[in-house]
Amino acid sequence: MTITLHDFELSGNCYKLRLLMSILQLRYDIVPVDFFPGREHKSDAFLRLNPFGQLPVLQDGDLTLSDSGAILAYLARRYDASGQWFPDDPAVTAEVLRWHAVADDITATASAARLALGFDYPFDLEKTQAGAHRIFRIIDEHLWFGEKSGRDWLASPAHPTTADIACFPYVMLSEEGGISRQDYPALRRWTDRVRRIPGFIVMSGIFPAGPALPAA
Amino acid sequence: MTLSLSDPAWYPIASSDDLPFRHVYQGQLLGRELAVWRADDGNVNVWENRCLHRGVRLSIGINEGAELKCQYHGWRYANRSAGCTYIPAHPADAPARRIQNKIYPVAEAFGLVWSAAQDSDNIERPFAPFPGAESGQWFPLRPMPVNAAPEDVLAGLATLAPDDRPADSLPGLALRLGDVVYFVQPVDAGRAVIRGLLPSTPADATQALRHYNEMLSKLRDRLERAAAKKPAPEPLAPAFDKVSADLATMPDIAIPRGNTIPVVVKRKWTSADGVIGFELAAREGHLPTFQPGAHIDVHLPNGLIRQYSITNGPGELMSYIIGVKQESASKGGSKVLVETVRQGDMLAISEPRNNFPLRRDATRTVLIAGGIGITPLLSMARFLDKSSLPYELHYFTRACEQVAFRGDLEALHGTVLIHTGLPRAEIGTTISTALGAWSQAQHVYVCGPSAMLESVRTTAAAQGWPDEAIHFEYFKNDKPIDDSSAFDVELARSAMTLHVPAGKTILEVMRDAGLTVPSSCEQGACGTCLTTVIEGEVDHQDVYLNDSEKAANTCMMTCVSRAKSARLVLDI
Amino acid sequence: MPSIDPIDHIDPITRDLWQVIAATDELPVGQIQRTTLLDVPLAMTRDSAGLPVVWRRSDEEAGDDVDPENILDRLPVTTGYGFVWTSLGTPSAALFPIPEYAEADRKNMSCGSIGIHVSAPRAVENFLDMGHFPYVHTDILGAEPHTEVKEYDVEVSEERDEVLATRCRFMQPRAAKSATHAMEVEYVYRVPHPFCSVLYKSCPEDENRRDVIAIFLQPVSEDRCRAHLLQSMIDSTSTITDLRRFQQTIFGQDKPILENQYPKRLPLDPRAETPIRADKSAIAYRRWLSQKGITYGVIPMAS
Ligand SMILES: N[C@@H](CCC(=O)N[C@@H](CS)C(=O)NCC(=O)O)C(=O)O
Ligand code: FES
Ligand SMILES: [Fe+2]
Repeated sequence: MTITLHDFELSGNCYKLRLLMSILQLRYDIVPVDFFPGREHKSDAFLRLNPFGQLPVLQDGDLTLSDSGAILAYLARRYDASGQWFPDDPAVTAEVLRWHAVADDITATASAARLALGFDYPFDLEKTQAGAHRIFRIIDEHLWFGEKSGRDWLASPAHPTTADIACFPYVMLSEEGGISRQDYPALRRWTDRVRRIPGFIVMSGIFPAGPALPAA
Repeated sequence: MTLSLSDPAWYPIASSDDLPFRHVYQGQLLGRELAVWRADDGNVNVWENRCLHRGVRLSIGINEGAELKCQYHGWRYANRSAGCTYIPAHPADAPARRIQNKIYPVAEAFGLVWSAAQDSDNIERPFAPFPGAESGQWFPLRPMPVNAAPEDVLAGLATLAPDDRPADSLPGLALRLGDVVYFVQPVDAGRAVIRGLLPSTPADATQALRHYNEMLSKLRDRLERAAAKKPAPEPLAPAFDKVSADLATMPDIAIPRGNTIPVVVKRKWTSADGVIGFELAAREGHLPTFQPGAHIDVHLPNGLIRQYSITNGPGELMSYIIGVKQESASKGGSKVLVETVRQGDMLAISEPRNNFPLRRDATRTVLIAGGIGITPLLSMARFLDKSSLPYELHYFTRACEQVAFRGDLEALHGTVLIHTGLPRAEIGTTISTALGAWSQAQHVYVCGPSAMLESVRTTAAAQGWPDEAIHFEYFKNDKPIDDSSAFDVELARSAMTLHVPAGKTILEVMRDAGLTVPSSCEQGACGTCLTTVIEGEVDHQDVYLNDSEKAANTCMMTCVSRAKSARLVLDI
Repeated sequence: MPSIDPIDHIDPITRDLWQVIAATDELPVGQIQRTTLLDVPLAMTRDSAGLPVVWRRSDEEAGDDVDPENILDRLPVTTGYGFVWTSLGTPSAALFPIPEYAEADRKNMSCGSIGIHVSAPRAVENFLDMGHFPYVHTDILGAEPHTEVKEYDVEVSEERDEVLATRCRFMQPRAAKSATHAMEVEYVYRVPHPFCSVLYKSCPEDENRRDVIAIFLQPVSEDRCRAHLLQSMIDSTSTITDLRRFQQTIFGQDKPILENQYPKRLPLDPRAETPIRADKSAIAYRRWLSQKGITYGVIPMAS
């Protein structure tokens, strides 16, 4: 079976899937979609794939899926033999899904601010920026107390999950929306950790972190 | 109280825990943005958050452990000094001009990192602990950023005091509430961070941290609601310093010239049979930035000047470590150092200079050392090691006991091969195997006795290594000097014209005319007398400049080189 | 309080230039689109013949229907290279030339107009810069260890009044969408307009011709601009979507660098930053701007 990703390079939601598939070492084809300036995601052909007119769309054999969070869960359940990325435990599943929802809130705020400033979208800049700051404050606090108790990731397991992948891209791209992360030092440290996950790849706008201190 | 850009007071700018290894923290104090990073040796660097090259924030760069790498063009800046050590666009050049980022003073105490808007070279007000600091085992709270004017935040904190026990105000933007001390970090005119310290680690630390975090969050929300009703204050507008005039132009080659630096011999030890190690430390603070392959002039008590390579790794600036060969027949250079200089003595050294720059753009680097020649190559190996670049170090000595810096060599992660007591012929074949056939982007660096230099040079050439891939350093100029020419030199800045007869050097003639001009080896090997040429054609006889620098005809060594034209105009 | 017209703050050279504001094809017919040029709010549309109409806006909203016939107070307009250009002053007759654009077999395309929080001249300088390829465009336009910027030539052409850098060479892992292996790529850079630059680079498909990529910057304010990207390629296999994606990938990598650059306006004082030999073209560009008397989007030399 072949996996096909309908993809736009500058989309953080598409990148979530490229990132997980790289970490899981999955092979896939890319169908580039001219999201900007072509607005191809509103074309008839694309709307037949996803009536919501949104990227990303992933096809796996006969299956056509949309929504990055849903697809992350699908890929992890289907292809992650370790079971770590989207754990089975009901409580952890709920926790991860909670963060997938936060990721959508980040898309609605930080990503919207980026679209407003970079891609001429008619969003309310001040409102989206303020919304992103509100979310970042909470995540920073969560991660700061996590560090104090030995938790490095958004969800409670001792390893990263799709929760981290879902929230990462638009946190990292927030400055393009005029949202500084200077006030969120724990959030900044977490972005270093995500960038050091084996198999990590970049997208345009996100630079790699250098290597961690080698264990003595 | 209004904030002043030039307020020299110390403020906390981060928690110690904010600075794990290999991370760059983004901070701000009185409007100035800061890139703050902890090197692998534990030292905390507080720098202006702006690369001197093209102004990119260093907080998006990479903490490589001993150097910070800028994200835009990969310039490297050294731990402690913020001096630029490498410019990848010109990998074969040593960035000899002193490119140094702006640094702020730093102190780490009570679980916090402190800094001040002062010139770090000239601190007018040193760090002093807050009153009562000595009585606690301080435990920092979660910092609380607030979008409100620092003075309003301080006033807000004071309102947390119970009526019967008002807050004690402390110097600066700080106060004590009961036994908890709060500092307000003035980020900018309308932004602050509350940094609190508990006097000891509470029994249930998490619960206590949560409790204070909740309390401060509520205060923050209150302060921000009030601030939102007022007009936002104008952000402070710190100016960026200008770079020195010589950095604003692009000379083809740099003119190293510097003052001497007093150092103290912190340690003197026998590193191996016939090799004495010296650790030279600055009297205070750190020593200047150096690049791998660099050497210093050591001014000896008997007036002689000798060159020694620095063996240190990147960002190690608290002292330089050099190795000195104990030569029985030495004419007073090394001999003085070895025999009369003792631990605790003061010496003068020059700023580091580099005639032996290390490229960091090789796919393979071969380092070949003979005897005391290990010193520059040890430094190179350490730099390559830190950047995880591949290298092979071959170190030849006559006997096992002569292997210097053994412990340091063992700490390296690359390929280190020590060859002891090989017969001459076998040295040749070992070198040949070590080099192998050349391919694109491979470089070899050699330092050792001239026979070894020659051997590496000819073997490498025979195995297809081009000249540009073979690097060695001359500490001596063995070539015969032809001083038969006669010509005039015009000294543009001194407004005088002198005649240089056959048998005399330009340097001698200038000194006869009463000028003070620096020199050291007087063999055209050390670079001290390098002078800019404005007009005329130079007859280069030194071993300091490389071929393209010689061809450029823009500078010369006045101790040996002469004129092909009838007249030279020098920038002196 | 007397209202201050933002036009008064624009230096006369900048005011009289043609400035890019949109990709012609992306401008709707009979509907309003809004933009800002040099701090001046503009409205634009296309008439039934497809010709752009541009005017200073007051309370027009994007998407409103408009009959272009009713717009009387129009700004000068020209079209070129697939884009709409206007001017707040008295522009010269013609736009600078890019003769290759007219070659019949080229794929010409806009790659989108992207807003960046930096001045237009900073973005021009980034476009001229080769030293950042290995660090910013890793594994595409450069990769360590090939970091060296070799000597190249720069001149300011008197006759054409433009900065010209030639003999620029760089080792590139994947120089273009059509490239299959690493190659040393040769570049020529032109700066024919204070806020526009055009580059010519070796074309993987035909060694006798050059791909042309241009960046036209719309100065929105002193410290913000919109980058309008043009590609004019010799590439018989890639689709327009592929080619756009390649260029957007590259530009998306430059964006965070540019937005983290301080100060946002380009400093013209040579002592503001530290140039190296690799920056020769940038030095020439800064000098050229200085000599022209451009003050918009730059920090002029203190006189
Ligand atoms: N919740 C969706 C959001 C996807 C989304 O916002 N996609 C953007 C591109 S990154 C898009 O296609 N936006 C067009 C639209 O919403 O009309 C997901 O995570 O996939
Ligand atoms: S801007 Fe930092 S290296 Fe060029
Ligand atoms: Fe770029």
